[in-house]
Amino acid sequence: MTTKQRLLYISSETTHPASPVLSMAIYEPTLGSITQIDPKNSIPIYESVHEAQIDGWRVIHFPDQKTAESFDVIGYQFILEKLEEFND
Amino acid sequence: MINESKNSTHLLSDNDMVDFIINGYLVLDTEIDKDLNDSIITQLNQLDSNPGDLVTESIPDLKKVYNNPKVKGVLSSLLGSDYSINTHRHCHRNPPGSKSQSWHQDGGERERHPNQISNLLMMYYPQSVDLSNGPTALIPGSHLLFANPEVTASQGNFKHQVIAEVPAGHVLILHYDIWHAGTANFSQNNRYMVKFLFDRISESNSPSWDHDPNNLIDVTLRIDNSPIIGLQKSLTNKVVKLRREMWENISGSNNTINTRIGGNHYFDRFSGPWPSITPDGQKVKM
Repeated sequence: MTTKQRLLYISSETTHPASPVLSMAIYEPTLGSITQIDPKNSIPIYESVHEAQIDGWRVIHFPDQKTAESFDVIGYQFILEKLEEFND
Repeated sequence: MINESKNSTHLLSDNDMVDFIINGYLVLDTEIDKDLNDSIITQLNQLDSNPGDLVTESIPDLKKVYNNPKVKGVLSSLLGSDYSINTHRHCHRNPPGSKSQSWHQDGGERERHPNQISNLLMMYYPQSVDLSNGPTALIPGSHLLFANPEVTASQGNFKHQVIAEVPAGHVLILHYDIWHAGTANFSQNNRYMVKFLFDRISESNSPSWDHDPNNLIDVTLRIDNSPIIGLQKSLTNKVVKLRREMWENISGSNNTINTRIGGNHYFDRFSGPWPSITPDGQKVKM
């Protein structure tokens, strides 16, 4: 068993952790794991960063308060981690 | 999906145009018959290599798609009756097992004009597309924004994304700048999408669609008040401003909306009953 880091990217409507999720993606620390747009399962598993925290995810990156002026960003991006045991 | 046009030229209505300005796309049933769709699939399967821009020379039947009267009516409405077809076109063959693209705008780093309708994409699907065989995903309203693909690369599903499940022979007509992605093909067959580009040739002097000046107040109210769904609230002013400018640019008028709205439609949204408190502490206006 190896402890590995799972990553959860959440873009929220505001910087408030309880604000609604706009987009979500999970990156698994396993060989061949693919993260992509999934038309069959597009409903986010959490409604907010706060819900993810309740489920054990830790915030490791808080959104920048100022976005770049040269392009637009949809949502304020939080990055969360969860350390879990994996069978290698 | 737009309603069946009431006029013989298949022009869009004011309501259709506002839908397009707000969402950046529409779905059109070309009513191309099944035999033609099937024939095009057969011809696409027989191509030894990707003909690139010459796909219409390889398969002349594809010209019937963009020469379809309903397609021409929509393109005339959005780009003016003197629009032209761009020489670039592309056949996307997504084989079984192909993965999803990342969110992107076409055109890379090219200069964008989000308050204009200068170019359109048309995506033609000769076979039906459902959740299993690589439907195109879209973010409504994103045509008004500038995407940086290096930033959007980590974003997966959007809560308010649209997955374009369409029957064979349907086309998507898209503002060139809309954020989109082809998704994974889980089926056992190729999924084809043939993309065409169309360009505006001249600045608009008057509406090129089925316009009724009596609709201007309703148009203004929809442009101003249709909710900004799926984006952060701080983009609201920018989005509404661009919607207005787009309407004015394609109408050929700089003051259509501003003179109509004046102060006549102001309403005080704070007046009325005091709000009550929900169990989780939110104030709700009753």
